[in-house]
Amino acid sequence: MKEFNIVLAGVGGQGILLAAEILGTAAVKEGLNVRVGEIHGMAQRGGAIVSTVRIGENVLSPMILEGKADVILGFEPLETLRNIRYASEKTLIIMGDEKIPPPGLTLKGENYPQTNEILEKIRRFSKNVIIVEALRLAKEAGNIIMQNTVLLGALAATGKLPMAEDSLLEALKELVPAKYVEMNVKAFNLGYNHAKKLLEA
Amino acid sequence: MPNPNILLKNQVGKRVLLLGNEAIARGVLEAGISVVTTYPGTPASEIGDSISAIAQKAGLYMEYSVNEIVAVEVAGGAANCGVRALAAMKHVGLNVAADALMTLAYTGVKGGLIIVAADDPECYSSQNEQDSRLYALLSNLPCLEPSNAQEAKDMVVSAVELSEKLELPVILRTTTRVSHTRAPVIYGKLAKPHLKGEFIRDVKRLVMVPANSRPQHDVLLRKMEEAKKITEASPYNLITHKGKDEKYGLISSSSAYNYAVEAAELLGLDIDILKLGMTHPLPEKIIGKFLQEHAKVIVVEELEPYLELHVKTIAKDYAPTTMVYGKIRQQYFPRTGELSTRKVLRGLASIAGRKIPVDLESADEKYAEVAEGLPLRPPVLCAGCPHRASFYVIKRVAGENTIYPTDIGCYALGAAPPLKVGDILVCMGAGIGTAQGISKATEVNTIAIIGDSTFFHAGIPRLLNAVYNKHKLVVAVLDNLTTAMTGHQPHPGTGVTGMQTATERLAIEKVAEGCGVKLVMVVNPFHVKEAENALKEALQFPETSLIVFRAPCTLMLLREKRREGLEIIPFKVNEKCTNCMACVKLLGCPAIILKEGKTVLINENLCAGCGLCAYVCPYKAIEPAKPC
Repeated sequence: MKEFNIVLAGVGGQGILLAAEILGTAAVKEGLNVRVGEIHGMAQRGGAIVSTVRIGENVLSPMILEGKADVILGFEPLETLRNIRYASEKTLIIMGDEKIPPPGLTLKGENYPQTNEILEKIRRFSKNVIIVEALRLAKEAGNIIMQNTVLLGALAATGKLPMAEDSLLEALKELVPAKYVEMNVKAFNLGYNHAKKLLEA
Repeated sequence: MPNPNILLKNQVGKRVLLLGNEAIARGVLEAGISVVTTYPGTPASEIGDSISAIAQKAGLYMEYSVNEIVAVEVAGGAANCGVRALAAMKHVGLNVAADALMTLAYTGVKGGLIIVAADDPECYSSQNEQDSRLYALLSNLPCLEPSNAQEAKDMVVSAVELSEKLELPVILRTTTRVSHTRAPVIYGKLAKPHLKGEFIRDVKRLVMVPANSRPQHDVLLRKMEEAKKITEASPYNLITHKGKDEKYGLISSSSAYNYAVEAAELLGLDIDILKLGMTHPLPEKIIGKFLQEHAKVIVVEELEPYLELHVKTIAKDYAPTTMVYGKIRQQYFPRTGELSTRKVLRGLASIAGRKIPVDLESADEKYAEVAEGLPLRPPVLCAGCPHRASFYVIKRVAGENTIYPTDIGCYALGAAPPLKVGDILVCMGAGIGTAQGISKATEVNTIAIIGDSTFFHAGIPRLLNAVYNKHKLVVAVLDNLTTAMTGHQPHPGTGVTGMQTATERLAIEKVAEGCGVKLVMVVNPFHVKEAENALKEALQFPETSLIVFRAPCTLMLLREKRREGLEIIPFKVNEKCTNCMACVKLLGCPAIILKEGKTVLINENLCAGCGLCAYVCPYKAIEPAKPC
């Protein structure tokens, strides 16, 4: 493996930084070199958020070049599309389904674009798209806040990650508050099984 | 990092994923630093936050100082008693602290003193982008620049040693990409903090009256002569790559180094790379030799051409025929914004006449097609944010014809539509300052917006000025009882210290009265009528008045509710709704959304249950989703 690049994209408040930290921690557990890029502060307040995870011996910077993402983990459809330039035809795109309309759109009285419209544009870059019912599964696990964990489960199910699922789960258990571990493991498994089914189909 | 205790682990060789800022906090523990001061600011905040979480256990003293100059003075005072200290701040914080810094360079220190300045190229969360390395030049202080989390930690230890050896404060300069990138860090040995020092009188060194300052300036320059020898032998100034292509050499530092190495590899440029980690003073001999060995030297750095200027000066003496490429004459690399592998790739390709192996132009074109008309998503005030209520009140009462100087904090987001309260934003405290000139020059109603933490940081002297000079203006302190933007750090109005112990709260209204403000009122912005009446009264007042709009930050409130297991009841739109859009157009709340572009809905997942939309709805069409 030369390098493995993950782009995590969504809206501030969706738990993107935590998901990226879990991925990074899992990589360190396996003795891998990793960089996790984050943006804090003002950009977090309901704004568009991108975090990057790069794993590989020679990786120095957290930045990913256009077309060089192995996976795009999209937490929100519009934000997935906004970061599609990191995708090539080989990129796997895992996208959550919670639509969060930007307030500017509401103010102008405009519609959130149709999912099909967004998907069509995403597919121009890569046809490997999995849409995860993250909102429903997170609710099922106990709280919509756990969409990030559902998506991590889905990512694990693809078998693409250079880290084992156990390392991810171990990192998850370390990084979420103790009283929420059980719920998060449930969310992870729900995402995992959901994606497995989608991949088989 | 949910458990900061991981920083306390006494396991040499342990490999942990840390944010650059957390790595600096670990460095504090390995360097035996005993006093840590800070004023929070992105991208520096997590240094103080990590230390605050473990200070008691680690046996060191930590405080969120009221502002950066106080932070540097507290740390500088301790360091002059032989106690190791660190003051952390964002780049613009160093402007605030500069007065103390410039003269602490003259007095010097006994215990190691580190000033961390975290630069924010691209202004991710700042009002400007400035290059703090120039402060090292200006103050004649040594500067270390890490390029990753491991170096950030190691350099804290080295900086303390350097500081004690030279008896000078040392600047540790990071950037957003160093401070906010997580990377594996290998732990070194923990050192025991020593919080008790001794103040030894030394008037000639410490009392900077002119007669003493003049010789101390010479002392400073002599110390820097010593620093020049140290930088030549510094393990942080080294050739990291020996290449086969002898024509080119590359010099870089900080995050730019990472992009440069990756870009050179992508281009197949097999060249010597000189990485500089101690960037003030620069190793003249190492750079001179490097210049002599290469016909063409490329300098890759973020923001100002700091290295390039020096490299060119050194080239004059050592290798006048060597070509130096950077950003001064021709902009191979941009001087504004954040660098990236892509930007460095472009510059290197152009200098070396190489073809970029990735077709970035086609990728751009393809992306431009799908991104056309893609709605933007700038940051907004959170659903339930009390500032939205304050802005609603302010706009209702004072309208479009009032001028609204504003300040640094979440409430700067109020300048965006539809609230549009925010007409000039400069720096911490400048809202109240600029308001006075605007009020004098226009005689138009002027309301200065300032947050609670910013009020304590920089508002008080400006307020005194307004009162004393009888400027007619209203100061609106939007008090959400925390330093929200940077991650909910305490300030003097909160009643909590950096050691996470209780202290006496300082009430903003009392401070204002103490400053001589004759009309001071405190309102809850969610009690709209009452708040409106207060503002009307204040606008009538012929001199400076001050209103505290006080309600807790919604993020803090929601967290508390969750912790206590209390239910958060969202609001919903009922059948009386006529889709008149009043709530949408007046408030711009992210939880209010439209179905099919016309039917108003409330996103129950985002709604914090503040009820402001229910208040503004002319048809009583918004109500709690269930009885509270």
